[in-house]
Amino acid sequence: MKIDRRSFISLGVGVVAGTTLTPVPWKLMDDISIWTQNWPWTPVPKEGADTYKTSVCTLCPGGCGIQVRKIMDRAVKIDGLPEHPINRGTLCPLGLSGLQFLYGPSRVKAPMKRVGKRGEGKWQEISWDEAVSAVTKKLKELREKEKPHSVAWVAGTDKGTVPRLIGRFLTAYGSPNFIRPPSVHDAYELAVYLMQGQEGAVGFDIENADHVLSFGTGLLQGWGAPVRMLNIYGEQHDSRKIVQIETRLSDTAAKADQWVPINPGTEGALALGIAHVMIKESLYDQSFINQSVFGFEDWTDDHGTRHIGFKTLVREDYSPETVAEKTGVPKATIEKLARRFARADKPIAISGRGEGLLPGSLSECMAVHSLNALVGNINKPGGVSVTSEPEYAKWPEVNIDMTASRGMQQPRVDGAGGSKYPNARYLLHRLPEVINSAKGESPVQALFVSDANPLYTLPNTKATKAAFDRIPFLVSFSSFMDETASHSDYILPNHVFLERYEDVPTPSASVQPIIGLAKPVVRPVYNTRHVGDVVLQVAKSLGSFVEKAFPWKDYQGYLKSALKDYWDQLEEKGFVKVKNAKDFPWANRFNTATGKFEFYPSARNQPSKNDKKALPNFSPVPIEGKPEQYPLVLMPYDAMRLTSGDVGNPPFMTKTIDDTVLKGQTVFVEINPATARKIGASEGERATVATPRGRAKVRLHLFEGIAPGVIAMPKGFGHTAYSKYLAGKGVNFNDLIGPISDPLSGLNTAWGIRAKIDRA
Amino acid sequence: MKEEHGDKHTKRYGMVIDLDKCTGCGACMVACYAENNVPFKKDETDKLDSLNWIRIFQLTNGKPYPDTEICYLPMPCQHCDGIGKHGHPPCVSVCPAIATDYDDSTGVVSQIPTRCFGCRYCMAACPYHARKFNWWDPVWPADTKKYLNPNVSTRMRGVVEKCTLCFHRYQQARDKAYLEGREEIYESEYQPACAQACPTNAITFGDLNNPDHAVFKLKNSPRAFRLLERLHTNPKVYYLSSKTWVRRAGDNYLENESRPKSNRQKIHS
Amino acid sequence: MNTNDQQQPVSDTASPGTGDASGKGKNGSGWIILLFFVIGLIGSLAGGWLFFPDLLYSEKQQPIDFNHKLHMGVVYEGCQSCHYFREDGSFSGIPDLYSCSGCHQYPQGTNPEEKKFIEEYVRPNKAVPWLVYSEQPDCVFFSHAAHVKGADMKCQTCHGKMGQTTHARPYQENRLTGYSRDIWGYNIARLGEPKYGLRMKMNDCAECHKKRTGHKGACFQCHQ
Repeated sequence: MKIDRRSFISLGVGVVAGTTLTPVPWKLMDDISIWTQNWPWTPVPKEGADTYKTSVCTLCPGGCGIQVRKIMDRAVKIDGLPEHPINRGTLCPLGLSGLQFLYGPSRVKAPMKRVGKRGEGKWQEISWDEAVSAVTKKLKELREKEKPHSVAWVAGTDKGTVPRLIGRFLTAYGSPNFIRPPSVHDAYELAVYLMQGQEGAVGFDIENADHVLSFGTGLLQGWGAPVRMLNIYGEQHDSRKIVQIETRLSDTAAKADQWVPINPGTEGALALGIAHVMIKESLYDQSFINQSVFGFEDWTDDHGTRHIGFKTLVREDYSPETVAEKTGVPKATIEKLARRFARADKPIAISGRGEGLLPGSLSECMAVHSLNALVGNINKPGGVSVTSEPEYAKWPEVNIDMTASRGMQQPRVDGAGGSKYPNARYLLHRLPEVINSAKGESPVQALFVSDANPLYTLPNTKATKAAFDRIPFLVSFSSFMDETASHSDYILPNHVFLERYEDVPTPSASVQPIIGLAKPVVRPVYNTRHVGDVVLQVAKSLGSFVEKAFPWKDYQGYLKSALKDYWDQLEEKGFVKVKNAKDFPWANRFNTATGKFEFYPSARNQPSKNDKKALPNFSPVPIEGKPEQYPLVLMPYDAMRLTSGDVGNPPFMTKTIDDTVLKGQTVFVEINPATARKIGASEGERATVATPRGRAKVRLHLFEGIAPGVIAMPKGFGHTAYSKYLAGKGVNFNDLIGPISDPLSGLNTAWGIRAKIDRA
Repeated sequence: MKEEHGDKHTKRYGMVIDLDKCTGCGACMVACYAENNVPFKKDETDKLDSLNWIRIFQLTNGKPYPDTEICYLPMPCQHCDGIGKHGHPPCVSVCPAIATDYDDSTGVVSQIPTRCFGCRYCMAACPYHARKFNWWDPVWPADTKKYLNPNVSTRMRGVVEKCTLCFHRYQQARDKAYLEGREEIYESEYQPACAQACPTNAITFGDLNNPDHAVFKLKNSPRAFRLLERLHTNPKVYYLSSKTWVRRAGDNYLENESRPKSNRQKIHS
Repeated sequence: MNTNDQQQPVSDTASPGTGDASGKGKNGSGWIILLFFVIGLIGSLAGGWLFFPDLLYSEKQQPIDFNHKLHMGVVYEGCQSCHYFREDGSFSGIPDLYSCSGCHQYPQGTNPEEKKFIEEYVRPNKAVPWLVYSEQPDCVFFSHAAHVKGADMKCQTCHGKMGQTTHARPYQENRLTGYSRDIWGYNIARLGEPKYGLRMKMNDCAECHKKRTGHKGACFQCHQ
């Protein structure tokens, strides 16, 4: 017997035959296919009991109620809170992306100290004690040098307990320089202050209005409380006419009942043209105009000087023919707009461009607000009213020492409230210019930034950066590695809104006063600390007078003592409608010298001696650039899928952006096909946009909805910080534009800039 | 199986999307990503490889300034019934792996990523581009894995995925109904994430067979139309628009083509 | 047969001219070939049927030797005392540490396993890494409510006499997939009565559904 090769082949055949008769191949095939479905790098989210926690979103001033779904200790989804009056169960894309802020890649995970050059990105993690003592040391040093007023603090908002705590801290320390970033509400607030003598936020009762005349306002693009506006639009689709006056076919214009295209920057003239028609055809509210306004008719002052009234001004200077020529809106359309507006039951006129991060021209705001006065729809349901902040958080005045007192008497570093701009409260956009033009050392020696990202949001990024480079001590409280944080000396990261307590006062542009409470939904993910607690700790380590102004152990104690009776309800429901809120704005009286609505702001801080300049008028501040050199006009636009404020766009929202807005890392500039034809450009082509302030590489998107001669670009791109999911995409509009101060108010009015396109 | 279609209790879950209300805000898309563990990557601008279970398209009437109009159209999987409601949507008919099927009891077209081997026949068959292929393994950077929803399995490279009408929410609602001894679930108990989030309430969701559900009435509105109706895919997603150009664009009409007799009547009768 | 004879031609296989002898040789070597075939066949059959199952699974012990019977004696609502439905209809599954430490904050008796449980898990507040015999892949959606509440099935129908066990039996883990041997069943051919409760492969679900409802069900009935 010999065993040969064939025997082994036979053995093999036997094994194969046998194996097919065993479960081995079939079982292995099954197991292997299961194995390939369970790669270790494909995450399997852990199951567990569901819980829902109510809170408030603080990612924009909308203050929507949210409910956060939790599985064990992880937050897995944010949805709208059904019973919240602002968003009624729905939410915007930003709020829905909230967890990407909590768990996302751009968070600052611990207090950090810069070790490389500014902006180089070299950081050293430090302890909170080290962080607080570094800040304290600098603040002590500046006080010892009798320079407490060289400290400035840029805070995202001036409403609520945290900004008040910061304000109180600055007062006790001796600095008048609490600064809020600019917004359209600056212009609104100033307009109603001058015309109505009332201080407070302006609310628009759009829920009860039946006709909205919007002068370029991005009602459906993030203005006010964005979800409130979208809710109103969707749910009462047929009960309200929206007329959108805008150069570009924006989302709001597209969804409006009527879109009125207009030459850019001439909105104020159109408002006055409409006023002209209303007055000429006696379409205004006679009883309101006769009884409750001042400066409508011509008048004589105490010195016997004759002054012209609004009626004369408008009739002389703003006939539909003149206005049609300026605005490009046909005469017949102007007349129709006026008649429809005047005949509506509850008409509202709203001014301010886009989502409202640009304050805009005061005279334009006053011109538009005059229309509200002509229909007498002020401080009434379905109208425009001034709402004061819900009254809580009242503490005894701060006792300040001599150093602080001397510091507080110094003029504000941004010039707001000074001799040049007596009416303005905050002028952040002027800060770079003030610092850059200062001789010797910078007037700001220490800058603190919380809930704001001025290095990204301020116009003229280059100048802002140069100014910030001159500030020797820069501290950011940002939870994220944003532009300002990455250029600062210390980062003292705040908790994200889902990890902290914070009150959220009345949502932007809302009439109903509501207090919301953001609550810690999850335990802090990283080694972060509430900015309120840091302020209290710094105050304590500064000692003496500063310390005495803060009798609270921690921020939560401070917040509880501020909210008092509201606390329990807020803890349970997440929000409180302030009592009697429904009637309170309507009962407001005009608080002017005459006790009436003043077309001609009479006594206080009169803006001009020239009658025609004192009344609401159209006096456009020209945009930068010579038409010969820059034949086009570049305007920004806001979109719901792209945040342009201090909060960087989350990856989810960036994912929703169309490929005609961003392609790869390049942003598209919208251009009318007719304009494109002139320069021989085609769809998707690469080009360079140049303005007097800068140049940027872009692509061209041919869009019929943009006026010929005008080009438009989205705001919110061009980040240099955050994570790879945002940084380097597109262009920051602020790189291409500089601020233009309104001569009346000092507020930034730069709505656009002249530009040209160089084909690549 | 065929008799089941006539059964009153057979559900046909579907959507009515009011394009007159949609402002293109993108909340539906983000709500969907968050609910369904849809990943994101650095560059999402190549829409062919961008995973979206619902995507908003922008339509324009093509007229020059200032007569231009635009309309936003959110497009999820259309959950086709197929002609004569035979339960054979284009994708189901071609799938060699039975990774997608038509559920007779709900009308939902399923997609089981673990069963899929990535041949992408279904993507070629789908006239709506509603199906997306995972060209890469998903990556959740930093701590973003923590927000993943345990009710929806994460997918891997090499498989197709698409809108499921948030079927896991149906399963959850059914569980609750079982516990409470109910046969039926309430309309409000089962709403997909997009419909729940929509700030303008443009998306209405429910059982198209149930006269008590809002969609039942809406789908018969004179403004209603469906996408590419002439293909007889018989989708369960209806759109509403008061604009003729939008309705015509929805069925891809040529410029001078007259509107044929409604396909819908044929299919519904 | 002369085996010596045939060796010559076999060594000469390459030469085609040895017709007869090679024919004989083939006959003779056929035995060997057959023998090897049979050895291969039987060997692989034995290996596949007898040894493969044991090779495929590794055996693990539960972290705590849990006594179900003892607990069933002291609770009021049977299985659902600990494995309960949550208010939203979802099933809680294996109790979390919090549920156990309600009673076992301190030792209730002298059992060393209880002592181990308290010292190693309750005190350090650490979740017990129980090995779940019926663990399914993530893509599976199994509704306990549909079966227990909807179809009025008993826990024992699928999980067998788990509630009567006094010791935690070893957990046999599939080396490839990581799932329990219970899912496929202890009999590798999936024949006969399952050893511990029902087998839980997709086909098992489909078979039972077909029997009871007349339809295997759509994919989404049990997948997510």
